[in-house]
Amino acid sequence: MATIVDIAVSNPDFSTLVTAVSAANLVDALNSPGPFTVFAPVNKAFEKLPPGTITTLVQNIPQLTRILTYHVAAGRYTKNDLRGRESIPSLEGTPIDLYITAAEFEVNNATVIAADIEADNGIIHVIDTVILMRPHWFHPIMRWGKEGIKSEGVVV
Amino acid sequence: MLSTLIWLPIGGATIASFCSAKWARIVAILTSSAILFLHVLLLRQFNLGTGEFQFSENLPWLPNIGLNYTLGVDGLSLPLLVLNALLTWLVLCFDREVKERPRLFYVLILLIHAGLSGAFLALNTLLFLLFYEIELIPLYLVIAIWGSKQKNYAATKFLIFTAVSGILILAGFLGLAWVAPAPKPVFDYQSLRSLSLPVTAQIVLLLLLVAGFAIKAPFVPFHTWLPDTYVESATPVVMILGGVVAKMGTYGLFRFCVGLFPEAWSLLSPWFALWAGLGILYGAVTAIAQKDIKRMVAYSSIGHMSYVLLAAAAVTPLSLVGGIAQMVSHGLILALLFNLVGIIEKKVGTRELDVLNGLLNPLRGFPTVSALLILGGMASAGIPGMVGFIAEFLVFQGSFSKFPLPTLLAILGTGLTAVYFVILLNRTCFGKLDNKTAYYPKVLSSEKLPAFVLTTLIVFLGIQPHWLVTWSETTAQKISSRLPSNAIVQLINLQQQ
Amino acid sequence: MPSTLIEPTTKLPPSTHPFAEIIHRLERGGSMLPDTEENLMQIIGLYKAYAIPMDFYWRDLLYIAERVFLDPVPAFKYFLPKEYLELANHYAGDNADLRIWRGYATAHKELLEFIEKGELKARIPKLFHHFYHDRINMEFAEECMRAMFWHRNMGGLLEPYMDSAEYKQNADRAIRAYFRDNPIMLGLYKLFPDMFIEQCRQATMYSVLGLFWEVMCPVFLEMSDIYDEGGFKGVPDAMNFLVNGIFAIAGRPIYHRVYIRGEWYDIVPKSKGFTWLYEAAFPYVEAVFYRTSPFRGTKSYNAQAREVPDDQNDFHYGILYADKFPVASAGIPPTLLHQDMYHFLPQYLVDYYQKFCRGADDMLIQLGVSFQRSMYNVTSAVIQAGRAAFLYPLDDPNPRHLWANRYYFEGQLNRFANPKYGMNKAARILAIQSQDYR
Repeated sequence: MATIVDIAVSNPDFSTLVTAVSAANLVDALNSPGPFTVFAPVNKAFEKLPPGTITTLVQNIPQLTRILTYHVAAGRYTKNDLRGRESIPSLEGTPIDLYITAAEFEVNNATVIAADIEADNGIIHVIDTVILMRPHWFHPIMRWGKEGIKSEGVVV
Repeated sequence: MLSTLIWLPIGGATIASFCSAKWARIVAILTSSAILFLHVLLLRQFNLGTGEFQFSENLPWLPNIGLNYTLGVDGLSLPLLVLNALLTWLVLCFDREVKERPRLFYVLILLIHAGLSGAFLALNTLLFLLFYEIELIPLYLVIAIWGSKQKNYAATKFLIFTAVSGILILAGFLGLAWVAPAPKPVFDYQSLRSLSLPVTAQIVLLLLLVAGFAIKAPFVPFHTWLPDTYVESATPVVMILGGVVAKMGTYGLFRFCVGLFPEAWSLLSPWFALWAGLGILYGAVTAIAQKDIKRMVAYSSIGHMSYVLLAAAAVTPLSLVGGIAQMVSHGLILALLFNLVGIIEKKVGTRELDVLNGLLNPLRGFPTVSALLILGGMASAGIPGMVGFIAEFLVFQGSFSKFPLPTLLAILGTGLTAVYFVILLNRTCFGKLDNKTAYYPKVLSSEKLPAFVLTTLIVFLGIQPHWLVTWSETTAQKISSRLPSNAIVQLINLQQQ
Repeated sequence: MPSTLIEPTTKLPPSTHPFAEIIHRLERGGSMLPDTEENLMQIIGLYKAYAIPMDFYWRDLLYIAERVFLDPVPAFKYFLPKEYLELANHYAGDNADLRIWRGYATAHKELLEFIEKGELKARIPKLFHHFYHDRINMEFAEECMRAMFWHRNMGGLLEPYMDSAEYKQNADRAIRAYFRDNPIMLGLYKLFPDMFIEQCRQATMYSVLGLFWEVMCPVFLEMSDIYDEGGFKGVPDAMNFLVNGIFAIAGRPIYHRVYIRGEWYDIVPKSKGFTWLYEAAFPYVEAVFYRTSPFRGTKSYNAQAREVPDDQNDFHYGILYADKFPVASAGIPPTLLHQDMYHFLPQYLVDYYQKFCRGADDMLIQLGVSFQRSMYNVTSAVIQAGRAAFLYPLDDPNPRHLWANRYYFEGQLNRFANPKYGMNKAARILAIQSQDYR
């Protein structure tokens, strides 16, 4: 079987991701035994970002690395493994939110379009949107919006 | 000289009534400026050394009934004349509030001025009464024409009260003339002063006059016309009304009550003093309860006029000087306060204490007006450094030895004055402007000018009170020297019993 | 994604939020600020007037962070050396990393002219200009820095990093180098190391804010240029430009380094991966737009009066809640900002203000209210950018996603509808819906 990097390189849909990973010098890391769970955005996902976003990230490797490591979790998790969990910690540190039902598999605001692609050193879930770290105020705000104004205050 | 002071404004008024509105204004400004200038001349030529009447003029008019055109000025009337000239000048030169029928307004203000000057100058009781009654008509008109919503009610109330006041005074003067042991009725002030009447007759006549003047000043409980009239009148009118017209009451008290009935006055003065003390307290307490800033200032006036009554009751040279100073100081301060309150009302559109807020705001509020209002409030509350303190202090100093309790009441009233002014300033000047409503037009510098002139005088006379009291010292000495000493009063008391 | 305007989505029932109308506008891709020509003119004019002093702010903030550093008597920290005036902005000019403003990278010409002559239009010694406050007033910028420094728990990784051993080590190296020839300060450092480290953290905040504004300055200048060319059709266009800007610059590194005797000392190295969006922009918006702290004299600090919340999270004294009317009163620091912006108002705004309220006399307040409008628009951009980054497109076909968007918008607007401490009364969101608020 192939490593995560091998699989990504072999698929032209991941060409942007591969470029980014090699720019961020993460190739060796992702070739290491791991294991990793990688949420891999397809080229279209990168195209959704407004112009300039990628330019700035490519100019600043540590920052690019940080975004990319947010797409990786330590361990080998299939969709079934993740079922019932609200989130898993990313390598970046910020948790990745999960929404999983029989029919649906979403991470943050991205939809997994192909789940459970096995590799030697981990597992790949293909996503349609680049995910970004949700700030610490995100969940309290969502909760407050859901519960309505009656619940006073929000602890940010 | 003195006649000019009366006839010049009448002449000005006559000319103005034939001009277009624009020229009428110019005539009014020129006339009032000339009058002010004449008063400065009068001040320069006034002899400080004598307590007698100066620049006297005497023309027989209707000698058969004793009505003579007798004028004279002494240390009692001089400060009031100058105050009258100053306020008239301020109103005519700087007022821009009166937009409707301005010509009539100028004419009436000049006529009021003439009437007031005449009353202050008259040395014949009938002549005094004549002027006293004559200025009622233009006053009624200025209240009724340029007042606010309830102007007609207020003007009528004012007219009825002052007419009654006039009748009481007329009764007093006529009684005095008939009681006098002379072949013909006596109305001449100098002659009346040298009469000696039985004490009972004095008391009856004195009470008539005191009641008449108490309405005019006004003192509690004759004050009920005042809040309505002051509140409903336009700002320039109320400046004249509160500043000078009310002073006719206290002037009459000094001139005719104290001056003509020394024995009766001495006898009743303890009651007058107590009356004054209670009046001061009443004025202060009612002012605290007000929710309308103009009404509050109006009620403050009731208390402050009572200081003059206290001074008159004590009749020491010091208290008399203080009383005269208080008339002038009150005239200046009240005119300033009404002027500022008028500006606020005009710009904000309300006088409600609960609505006004944050006017000290530097860009959207009225910082200068608010600052002057604070200063005016302090002056009115008798804070040292301003003319109000001088006047009140002289009154207290002069009356304490004679009437300690009423004086203490008055001092307590002064403390309460500070209370309502703090309420007024705290609510109007401090706090925040409402973001929804606070889009007030700015105050033009021309609108601020009268307030600046008054403030300058208030502060200057507070620091240099000599310029205020020097005019009346000799006269006060003279008035008080005519009163019987304490021993004689006690003797009279014994006789009565 | 955010660059395209979306027609109203009718899939959800109407919102029941107190600000339902604004929620619906946000769901249509609009701003909290109503889309009117007057609003557009006001906010763009203010962006321009803000950008030029901001050009000074970011340069001076970096100068203080990098050169003045821990100077115990920083008397001349507001006197910017030529080097920093010529410092190239990374987002303007020909050699920009990403060219946001099509102009040049050095200090703005209007700024240079003002520094030279001031409002007095007189070439008198700098010190006189300084003491007459005829200058760019850095006090406001420092107030913002302090707000960011003081309000902890703002998110991002920088704050925990500043408490780490690694940071202390870096700071220690820089402090020793900085005071190498100053035994007194070194001795004090030995005695009170924490105090010096804390000062160093403050210098780091100077750097963070400087780097944040280095981006905002060309963004605002470019918006002004686009408006002058007739490029914006409405308030949402202006907001979307900001949203795109936020995305484009999100990855910009945030760092702090100090220049001591010809050598750069990294205190927060670029390699930590700290980004403009997470470590500067979000904390800035939270600390400066929402929270800051009440000015003395406007609120009672007496604990018994309970006017100032005891929880910093409940602070609500930022521009979005600010009462603009007391501007120019003693002790209201934004007066200095307003004074700074007043110098650079575009002519169309000067003419506009002349027509309202007291014209030239209260222009500081009028421009303050416009500034408030413009900052509501920036906050809208942040909210929409957050929605785009963390949630779903406005035309997403999945109703669950649309509900998530709505909860997000309603949760954000709850901050202006909260009755706690009267925040709902303080918030100006309803006031700016009307053009009569000025």
